[in-house]
Amino acid sequence: MLSRPVRGIFRVMRGVPLGLLVMQAVLAPACAAERERAAILAQLCAEDGKDVLNGLRDIAEEAPQDAAWGLRVVEAFSAKRLRCAADGGTFLVLPEAMLNARSLLPVQIDDTSLRAPLPSLRARVVLDQTAAALRLFVATRPQTRLDAVATLARHPETLPPGLLDAALVAERNPNVAAALRALAVKSGLHAPEPMRRLAAIASLAADATSGTITELSALRADPSYTADRSIAAALDAALSNARSQVRIGAGLSLLYNGISAGSVLFMSSVGLAIIFGLMGVINLAQGELIMIGAYTTFCVQGLLQALAPAWIDWYPVLAVPVVFVVTAMVGIGIEALVIRHLYRRPLMTLLATWSISLLLTNLVRVAFGTQNLQFLTPSYLTGGMHVIGDFLVTWNHLFAICAAVAAFIAAFALLRLTDLGLFIRAVTQNRAMAGCVGISTRRIDMLAFGFGAGLAGLGGLALSPIYNVNPTMGSGFIIDSFMVVVLGGVGSLAGTALASLGVGLVNVEFEPFYGAVAAKVIALLLIILIIQWRPEGLIAARGRR
Amino acid sequence: MTQTRRTLLKLAATAALPMPAIIRPAWAADTVKLGCLFSSSGTMANLEGRLNYVAQMAADELNAGGGVLGRKVEITVTNPASDWPTYAQLGRQLLQEQKVAALFGCWTSVSRKSVLPVVEQNDGLLFYPLHFEGEENSKNVVYLNSPPASSVLPAVDYLMGSDGVGAKRFFMLGSDYVWPRTINKILKGYWATKGIKPAAWHEEYVPFGFSNFQNLMNQIRSFASADGGQPIVVLTVVGSSIPDFLREYTNQGVKPTDIPVLGLDMVEADLEGLNTEGLVGTLNCWAYLQNAPGPRNATFLKNWAAYVKTSGAPYSPTTVIDPMVSTYDGVHLWALAAKKAGSFDVPAVRFAFPGLTFDDPSGYTLSMTDENNYVARGVFIGSVNERQGFDVLWQSKGTPKPVPFSPYS
Repeated sequence: MLSRPVRGIFRVMRGVPLGLLVMQAVLAPACAAERERAAILAQLCAEDGKDVLNGLRDIAEEAPQDAAWGLRVVEAFSAKRLRCAADGGTFLVLPEAMLNARSLLPVQIDDTSLRAPLPSLRARVVLDQTAAALRLFVATRPQTRLDAVATLARHPETLPPGLLDAALVAERNPNVAAALRALAVKSGLHAPEPMRRLAAIASLAADATSGTITELSALRADPSYTADRSIAAALDAALSNARSQVRIGAGLSLLYNGISAGSVLFMSSVGLAIIFGLMGVINLAQGELIMIGAYTTFCVQGLLQALAPAWIDWYPVLAVPVVFVVTAMVGIGIEALVIRHLYRRPLMTLLATWSISLLLTNLVRVAFGTQNLQFLTPSYLTGGMHVIGDFLVTWNHLFAICAAVAAFIAAFALLRLTDLGLFIRAVTQNRAMAGCVGISTRRIDMLAFGFGAGLAGLGGLALSPIYNVNPTMGSGFIIDSFMVVVLGGVGSLAGTALASLGVGLVNVEFEPFYGAVAAKVIALLLIILIIQWRPEGLIAARGRR
Repeated sequence: MTQTRRTLLKLAATAALPMPAIIRPAWAADTVKLGCLFSSSGTMANLEGRLNYVAQMAADELNAGGGVLGRKVEITVTNPASDWPTYAQLGRQLLQEQKVAALFGCWTSVSRKSVLPVVEQNDGLLFYPLHFEGEENSKNVVYLNSPPASSVLPAVDYLMGSDGVGAKRFFMLGSDYVWPRTINKILKGYWATKGIKPAAWHEEYVPFGFSNFQNLMNQIRSFASADGGQPIVVLTVVGSSIPDFLREYTNQGVKPTDIPVLGLDMVEADLEGLNTEGLVGTLNCWAYLQNAPGPRNATFLKNWAAYVKTSGAPYSPTTVIDPMVSTYDGVHLWALAAKKAGSFDVPAVRFAFPGLTFDDPSGYTLSMTDENNYVARGVFIGSVNERQGFDVLWQSKGTPKPVPFSPYS
């Protein structure tokens, strides 16, 4: 028991000229752990802990009870809750009390004269790794330990030898143990044994990124590493495998980014496809309906937080009916109060809807303020999954893609399969005739407008994890939406879908080669050409208008 | 028309006064006017609007101390509505009709460029509170904030050094207009003198209001994983693109410890609405940060909170950004110069600038020399924390000498 902490001290002191302290620790083994802690804390206070944290990580395998202590200190340091006094005392600040950092016992101290060390970026790298290493031994939840393994896997070359073996001995959960073993194989890249190197190369190549290529190419160029023929051959094979994976990944991410950009466009223009495309109303307040959708989502989130915190993670789903109804009601209100009276005067509709957009923007500005709203992003909408090469499927964009597909299916089904859809199409194709056969055109106008507005609101919901939600967000959508609807063909939902996908893909696919500015120019030029070639849009509505 | 607008301006100025308006008969005899050109509507409203209130707060401080040269300082507020030509028009009105002693205004470089001919023709004074691309030195503009040589370059130096991250490779991402392009040009010239090869940097520009950073984040990730040393991102996108970029950055699982970002136009307001836990360690650089140490900053923060409370200003009492402090410094520097000159005449005030010093809230002593109209300021590097603010990661020892024209561009 005694020898272990002493060994730990030597590791802690690696690269730090504090031999005297070590000597004392050896001479008085009874309080070795105590001195070790003091030395670590002094280091943290002195130089924002660059080297000392490497040592802390080693403690993890040596003395688990110290690992728990170490984790508290490391977490406190990265959260800036560590305080250093001029006389060498070190303290942790908790919301309710101050603790002595050495013993973790509460103390009474005036914290105004204490210094709060701030970890530099370079120290943060080591800090994250150290905390992850300590969590392997301390954390009780398997998921936390899995996350810790993932953090350690970011820099497998920096793992101290023996750490993973020690963690494997203690690990009881099969999943975490498997992850640890996989990491152990990967970290064998620089091991002296050729077998471990070969296994590491194979395992790295199986799941390659462009970083893997850089790493393996560097090794391939190192003659001492490739002295063994079998390793050189394995590196060559791994490199060609990795390169093809990265190429596939790059292609897939371009495609994915294009589709997600297209679905964002579709979600922002689907409401307009009904209101302008089918009804012919130039609604400049369309962007504001999207904005209201996003704000309604925010209110639903706030309500859930207050009333049913257990459901908070599902607010984007629970908000769907609320957002649809609220924005549809706003749309119906706009239709009944303003647009109804202007169906024969398109220019006036233009002005009236523009003033409505200004009114809505400023109402929201007064009610909520000008700042961006902060949404709680549920875990299923943050981050993404690594697929192949550098290709990540990011959940928030996938959410937008799914929402776009769902909105398209719903709108298409309503227009094609229901009586209401039939009436809407009848009214928009020939208002007088539809009235003659007994359709209440006023009512249909109102419902169609409400439906379009509701879809715009859902657009706001789907875009809230991607965009800044503020009162002026709507103005950013309006030009793109009109462009997409006109390009797709006025009166055709499928045309709108096709056009948004096309514009999204063109914008994104040209971006890596010519830059974002040029990509936008190219997309606009293509649109002009297409409109010249097909003035009615990509898919022209049949029938007399 | 003129009469109406003048009345409106007066109304606006009176409304901004925290004290009840007192009817003073000899209006011009015992007051001196300062004009503000900060938008309170349009895209810049959230940022520029608060500067009107800071100017008023500084004027109140001067008046509480007996005013300047025996006269009360009166702030005349206008609203250029984020429309660049309107800045020039209102600036002309303030100078010619209101006879203001000095102008305080502009945020974007394009609005400053539009006011520049107006102040030069009328021999006025414009106090400009933003850090910017430099390459300008008018005798009619006081550059309150730092040119790149004393803001961006020290920050990049820090990141390249051993205290920072030892950055070796640079991905420059900016909005496509004059400020980012000039900054990046200067940076490239600077790196060339440090022996860094052009292969080590990459430049990309996006249109204003650009929001889809998926491809660019992919590019940054593959740039970062290539060979050649620690990469960083020098971010000069502006406005709503900043939070959009940061959102995609965290979403793709990138961490500031892997690829640090130096956001040159990033202020606290850009972090509103973001979960900053994944962004802790992201950097910016300004001449003032809210967490600047020292009693002067504590006093300033307390005064601002109290001022917001008494005046009912529609801004957060707990958020103070660099341009606010710069505007505040500007009002005090003008007062010091006028006192030194014993006159409000622009040539006399300008003649008094060299040798002026002011102890401002950042903790540094600002100074001006006879070489140019730039104010020497300290440099702070801030690091994003979990509470949507910036911690002071590094600050300069003194105030580096401002160099208007970069030798690297």
